[in-house]
Parts: sequence; structure tokens; C-alpha cells
Amino acid sequence: MLKNLLRVLFVIFTIVLIFSFKSGDVPRYSKYLKEEQVNIAELPVEDVLINLGEKPPLHYISLLDKDSARMGEEMIKYGELLDGSNKRISKYFYCTDCHNLQKESPDPANDSPKAVLEYGIENKIPFLPAATFYGMYNKRHWYNGDYAKKYGDLVEPTRDTLQNAIQLCATQCSQGREMTDWEIRCVMHYYKSLEYKIGDLVFTNYEINLLSKAIANNPSLAAEIIRSRYHQFNEATFGTSKIPEIEGYVPSMRNGEYIYVYGCLHCHSPQKEITNFDLGMDKLSFKFLDDKLYKYNSFSLSHITRYGTYAISGRRQYMPQYSMENMSDEQLLDLIGYIKFKAHE
Amino acid sequence: MKKIINVIIIVVINSTWVYSQDSLIVSDNEIKDEFVSEGATDNSTVVTETFASIRVVNNHSIEMIPVRSLEFIVSHKFGDLAGSNGGVATWFGLDNLEDVRIAFEYGLYKNMNAGYGRSKGIGHTTQVFDGYYKYSILQQRTSKMPISLVFVSAVSIPYGPASTDSTAPNSYPTFLNRFIFTNQILIARKFSDRISLQINLGYNHRNYVDYKDQNGLFFAGISGRFRMTKSFGFLFEYIHILDRPSAITYTNHLAVGIELLTGGHAFALTFANSTGMTENLFIPYTNRNWLQGQFRFGFSINRRFKL
Repeated sequence: MLKNLLRVLFVIFTIVLIFSFKSGDVPRYSKYLKEEQVNIAELPVEDVLINLGEKPPLHYISLLDKDSARMGEEMIKYGELLDGSNKRISKYFYCTDCHNLQKESPDPANDSPKAVLEYGIENKIPFLPAATFYGMYNKRHWYNGDYAKKYGDLVEPTRDTLQNAIQLCATQCSQGREMTDWEIRCVMHYYKSLEYKIGDLVFTNYEINLLSKAIANNPSLAAEIIRSRYHQFNEATFGTSKIPEIEGYVPSMRNGEYIYVYGCLHCHSPQKEITNFDLGMDKLSFKFLDDKLYKYNSFSLSHITRYGTYAISGRRQYMPQYSMENMSDEQLLDLIGYIKFKAHE
Repeated sequence: MKKIINVIIIVVINSTWVYSQDSLIVSDNEIKDEFVSEGATDNSTVVTETFASIRVVNNHSIEMIPVRSLEFIVSHKFGDLAGSNGGVATWFGLDNLEDVRIAFEYGLYKNMNAGYGRSKGIGHTTQVFDGYYKYSILQQRTSKMPISLVFVSAVSIPYGPASTDSTAPNSYPTFLNRFIFTNQILIARKFSDRISLQINLGYNHRNYVDYKDQNGLFFAGISGRFRMTKSFGFLFEYIHILDRPSAITYTNHLAVGIELLTGGHAFALTFANSTGMTENLFIPYTNRNWLQGQFRFGFSINRRFKL
């Protein structure tokens, strides 16, 4: 009897033992590999390019330091560290007055004003005159094109070095002080946290097939395909104060309203306290802008949009201009059309 | 390693996985909620620009200087424009400077301002140093909060030489006798883009006064702004002393003005029967009469700096 009982227990024990190997969580190492495959979807574009044999950029950071990135984010959003351990970079502007921190278009290879505006409307993103910091780390040149007209020789050292571009932005664009090395390092780490991931890039089926083959046989071609899916630099072309004339173009009120609310009021809303020239949704504001449309001064919409203003002694706050790459002539007409409509409704 | 990464790239590229960036620090949604000028649609939006400046004409308005901003103010009041002391002989009062004040006022916190100024002073109250602090208690919103409410407390110290005549109101037996205080509550409402009105109730106390006068005076006032355009508007201000002794011949402060805004400056061109620049002077010491041509031109230039 005891013998039979022991036999039954042995069989049960054996069955339990066998099934215990087949059920339950996957082993820790397997789980790690599975997670890595998912997380690798966030693989930074720069790292991929380096693995494909490309030369790393001058500002390349191999490992993101989250604490530095957090400090960089604080300086970008608030102009200083929230614990008060450094001096404000600028008393006039925060970086986010002119730069967004998120993607401005669904496809980094297409950041045309039209694509940015449509994506901005969809996602309620401010319509700003400067390039977004998202993917700034992946650029190779900064302060391009007509920025030389505005800042002269100061742009030369910035055109191939991101650290120098940050310094120029701190001292000239935001009219602040020079940043220290550690501050720039923190901002660089924050930029790295905003770098393009492979998942941000948009490929056609043809490109995917080509890339699949190139990765195995021709890494430099693969790198080229990846690089073609985002811009290495932002071009800048400054316009003139002339109100655009586009035959047959009918201004879009929806676009105009978005540009006014998410562009103009981003700085000129009284609560923002960025400028002393406040605007709002009131009729007086619209009538004022409408009355000055055809003047040749800073109150004229086309003039201020295309020329901006410059920092002068005693009045450092200035308005940066929208380049043609940041606001098209059609969009300027949309804005003018909306203001005229609101002034006379 | 490279092969692994290459394989992974293909896997990822073929996926439709969407990446989103997480903020590394506390969200700043609070700021954005205010800003989104949904201004047009957000029912709890703060009402701004009730007045263009931190003064209506001479008295305080409910407007606050933004935090970390410094306002530099230069204000003048000239002599009588008409009447026996005005006219062409004094070029309508421009030859006679009644009072001038230079001040620096600062946004200490979002809801608190402090300011210091120095003025020439009027009558026997000369060489006046003044200071104030101002606290914003309520802010008008498009719904739920119909008014703005601000408390202002000001002090003035005339430090000119004391009179040797012991019966004079400026004989100042002790230093404390020189102090003048005004505390007032400002209640304002912006009724539309063009019309704003403000009521002020307060108490003025002079530590040393003429023997017929009384130290404490309660007062009530009304002031307003009518905007013609974005940059041009009319202003008025009246302050009534509620319990002035009948033996005293002083009158009440009445002022009108126009405002011109340029984006960086706020100019106010004013006409008032009072001669003093600060509430500690023009509330208790106004003794001129509009009907006798005893009103004067004045102006104020406000320039704001970020610190």
C-alpha cells in the first residue's frame, strides 16, 4: 500500500516538475532580449549611422546622462536651473519662446511651412520662427543661409559646431550671457534626448527594400538612405516687407487664425510678458494691425514678420523674423486675411 | 554586434511604432493652459490690460508690474493753466513747475509690487521721499471672477527743513511727525475692450497737521479708461474726501488725461487740479479749483526694463 502511494506521489511529482519548466514567466535573460528588441525601436539615428561605418559628428555623445539632460531641459524651458544654482542665461527670453521641443512635422524629411502648419494645427504646436530642438542634435550645420546677413561673421564658427551655435543663441538671439562649458554640456545632453530615433524617420517601401539589401552589402549606401530621410541643416531665406501677391490665392482663415494664436500670441499675449507690445483676441488689436498693414515700420505685419526687429541698447527684447522656410508667402497672406477679417467683422 | 543592429533596424523600420519624447522634468502645462489664447474660448482666462499703466492718472491702478521687471517713471505737473496764475504770462503754467517725481518701481512677485520715488513736493510738504507696496488679491477673469482687487499701502516722508514757526504744519517736533500714510483698496472691472472702471476706498493719515485739520481722512474715488484705439485712450480720476473738517478749504482731486502707448513706453498727458504727484500729497493737500482755471498740465513717462 505504502509502496503504491509512493509510486503515485512520484508520478505526480514528476509531472509537476516537467510542467514547471514549460509554464510561468520566460527566463530573465530571454525576457531581457525581448524587451531589447522593442526598446531598440528607439535606436538613435546617430548610433545606427556610426554602426554603419559613418564618422560621428563633433558633438557626438555616446551615452545620455539623464541628470545632465534634465538640467539642460530646465535651462531651456526656464532659463536657469530650478534649484537656483546658476544665473539666468537671459533675462529677456527663454529658448522656448522661439523654439519648439517636439516634432514639427510627421516626416523629418519634409519640414516645409505647409507640412509644419498642418501638423501644428493637428497637434496644437506653437508656430515659431526658429527650428525645433527635436532633431537639432542630428543636424550638421546651423545658422545657415541668410543668418549671415543678420549676425555677420558671428555665424562662421557656428555653422559646423553645435556647441558654438548654442553659445551664439545664448548671447545674441536671447541677448543673454555666455554659457559655461557645463551648461552647454547639459544642453547638449538634452538635445541628445531629443535626437531622431529610427522610428521617427519615414521610409517608402522601395527605400525599405533598398535599405534591407544595402545594410548587408553596402553600409555606406544604407547610411545615405537613412540620412536622406531627414535634413542635415535648416536653410534660411529672409523675405522682404512687401505684402506677397499670389494671383488667385484665397487666404485660409483657419490657417490665419492658427498662425495668429499659436504664432503671434505665443509672445504677444499679455500674460507671456515677453514683449511690451501686447496683442489679444480683441477687436482693438485686430484694428490696430489692420490700420498699420501698409506702413513701412515695425507695426506693419509683413514688415515685422519678414524683417523682425533688432536688439538695441536699452531695449534688448527684439522680434526674430520668420524666414521663408518657416512661414511661406501663402501663410503670411492667410495671417493678413484673418486679421483683416477680424478687424472688419 | 553590427549584424544584430542591422537586423533590428529592418525590424524597426518595418514597424509602425510611434516614438514619443517624455519630459525629463515636471510638466509646464500650467503656463500653457494660461497662454493658449484660447483666449477666445477658455472661459477662465484672466482679463488683462484693464489699464495701460500702473497708474490711472495719478493714483494707482490695479495693473501690476510683472515679476523681475523694473519700471522707471518720470512725472511732472506744471503751474495753473488758466486763472490768475496761468495764461500766456506763464505760458499756460509751463514756467511754473509744481511737482516732479522720479521713481523706480519693481515687480517683486507675481502679485506684489514695491516702489520708491522722490518728488519735489508741494506747499510746506517738500523734498518728499515715498515708497509703497501693492498686493493683487483678486484678478478678473472672463467667468467666475468679475472684478480685480488690489491693496496699496504707501508712505511719504517729507524731509525738507522743519519750520521754526511752531504753529506751522511743517514744524515737525519729531521725525515721526513727518510721516504720511495712505492705505487703499482698488476694485476694478474691465467691462469691454474699450471701457474699464475702478473704484478706490481708503484712509489717509498724516502724523502732523494744522490745528484745524484732522489727522485721518477717509476717501472714496472713481477712475476710468476709455480706449479709442489700441494705443490711444482717455482717462479720468476723481477722489472724494469723505470726512474733511468744514474749517478746511481744501478741495478734491479731479484729473483727466490721455494715454499714448508705443509698445515700449506708456505716455500719459494729464490735466488735474491737484499739484502733488503721490496719493499722500494729492489726496489731503489739493486746494485748487478747476472752475477758477486752477488746473495744470502734467505728464508721465513710464519705461519698463527687465532685470
